[in-house]
Amino acid sequence: MIDRIRFVLHETWESLLRNATMQAAAISTACIALILLGGAGMALYKLDAAASALPSQFEAEVFLKMTATREQALQLKAELESWQAVAQATLTPREVAWEEQKQKLAADVNLADIPNPLPDKLTVRVRDPEQLPAVAERIQQSPLVDEVIDSRAELQTVLSLSRLVRWIGLGAGGLLLLAALILIYNTVRLTIFSRQREVRVMALVGATLRSIRLPFILEGMTQGLVGGALAATLTLLAAALLSDYMTEQWAFLRDLPPGLPPLVVLVGLPTLGALMGGLCAWWATLRYVRI
Amino acid sequence: MAVELKQVSVAYGEQGALRRVNLRVERGEFVFLVGATGAGKSTLFKLLYGERRPTEGEVWVLGQPVHRLKPRELPFLRRQMGIVPQDYPLLPRKTVWENIAYGLRAIGYNESAVRQRVAQVLALVGLNEQARQLPSQLSGGEAQRAAIARAIANNPPLLIADEPTANLDPDTSWEIIELLLRINLRGATVIVSTHNRTIVDRACQRVVAMDRGQILSDVPRGGYPMELDRLYASVLL
Repeated sequence: MIDRIRFVLHETWESLLRNATMQAAAISTACIALILLGGAGMALYKLDAAASALPSQFEAEVFLKMTATREQALQLKAELESWQAVAQATLTPREVAWEEQKQKLAADVNLADIPNPLPDKLTVRVRDPEQLPAVAERIQQSPLVDEVIDSRAELQTVLSLSRLVRWIGLGAGGLLLLAALILIYNTVRLTIFSRQREVRVMALVGATLRSIRLPFILEGMTQGLVGGALAATLTLLAAALLSDYMTEQWAFLRDLPPGLPPLVVLVGLPTLGALMGGLCAWWATLRYVRI
Repeated sequence: MAVELKQVSVAYGEQGALRRVNLRVERGEFVFLVGATGAGKSTLFKLLYGERRPTEGEVWVLGQPVHRLKPRELPFLRRQMGIVPQDYPLLPRKTVWENIAYGLRAIGYNESAVRQRVAQVLALVGLNEQARQLPSQLSGGEAQRAAIARAIANNPPLLIADEPTANLDPDTSWEIIELLLRINLRGATVIVSTHNRTIVDRACQRVVAMDRGQILSDVPRGGYPMELDRLYASVLL
């Protein structure tokens, strides 16, 4: 058994060393495909996280009628919080709101002598942003409520954007993965053609299909692994450089949720590369290695 | 019975197809298969080691129905056969020793058995001194002997050699046939295809003549010379 394993590993190693140009082509192909895939994955992860985070910042502002008492306001708050769809309801008393307003405008206008025109306000945050319009509609029916502002149009835009980002991510990722698979498959196919003599000799002396195919599969996995490791390094390097530059340019990017952890990229891309390489090689050997 | 073909046909194109071929080769026999290019000799050999499937008929080799074997079963049949096909390439980057060892390692021999068997076959084919040479450093005859050495390294009971004397001068051709006769004397069944009448005449073995996918005649060992003259007139240029 040990001799057999040694033979298979030796065949793999010899082939890797022998076809240097072919190996460089295969590894760079895997590397480029995985950089595209990894880069797109990281960017889309961040975009998706950002898109998912934005709707939670949307809330409904409920302005009560001037006639509503504090007790009624607190009752309404308690009622809203008992609703399944509502995550939180915060009461801003009219006097607090007025104080804030006065301080904000203090430099321009003196509001000290003006009676407080503001009503009590409830700020309602929902569990699922998609439910915000329905919740706002329901709150509006209360006799205590004067007006509900729920940023419905902006919310719809962000939700559409979020869905679009996910679909683009799935589509682009799928296409890149397919392109990478085809490129690696093609390289392994060329490797098989370049080693037809060995394949024929092994077949004629009675080597099993499995032992003929295994070195190619290991070779494909090695190409994918090395390509993936290179891709992970380059992707993280590029991400670090770009991230610094972009946050300098656009400050709001600092508030976005963090991207993929580097360890996921460092382990994920080489693993994905090895799996892709192995899969493509196995696929190519099924078609082109026969006895 | 080493080989038996019953009503075997292979249909593809004009050249190399076989039509209702019947052939029996007993264990321990030495058989020449003669015929012009495209007569079907290589196709017949490919049927024996399962590289081609018959369109109809049965192919039995060493008691196994090759026409029915699944691809995963073929390697185990081939381990009982030494195959020297016409396009048999020695691996150019490996020495003679490594070429022979390669075949043994590929079928799971351990290193000590590989060393032992390679030394034995190198001595048998007379290539001890060339063991460390690359194929490009060998003469045509030496390369052919190395290919035969690899084929017999597993000590198979059946050896099939497709045109082993092609492109060799008469003396070297005869050396190769002598080597095959020695292997036959050690008990292996040997089937050799050739165009070379001189060596067929000189070896005095059974001769099966093929033409356009059919067996024209089957001259038993010692059936000389008139039958062979007739046979050559009909199938060889």
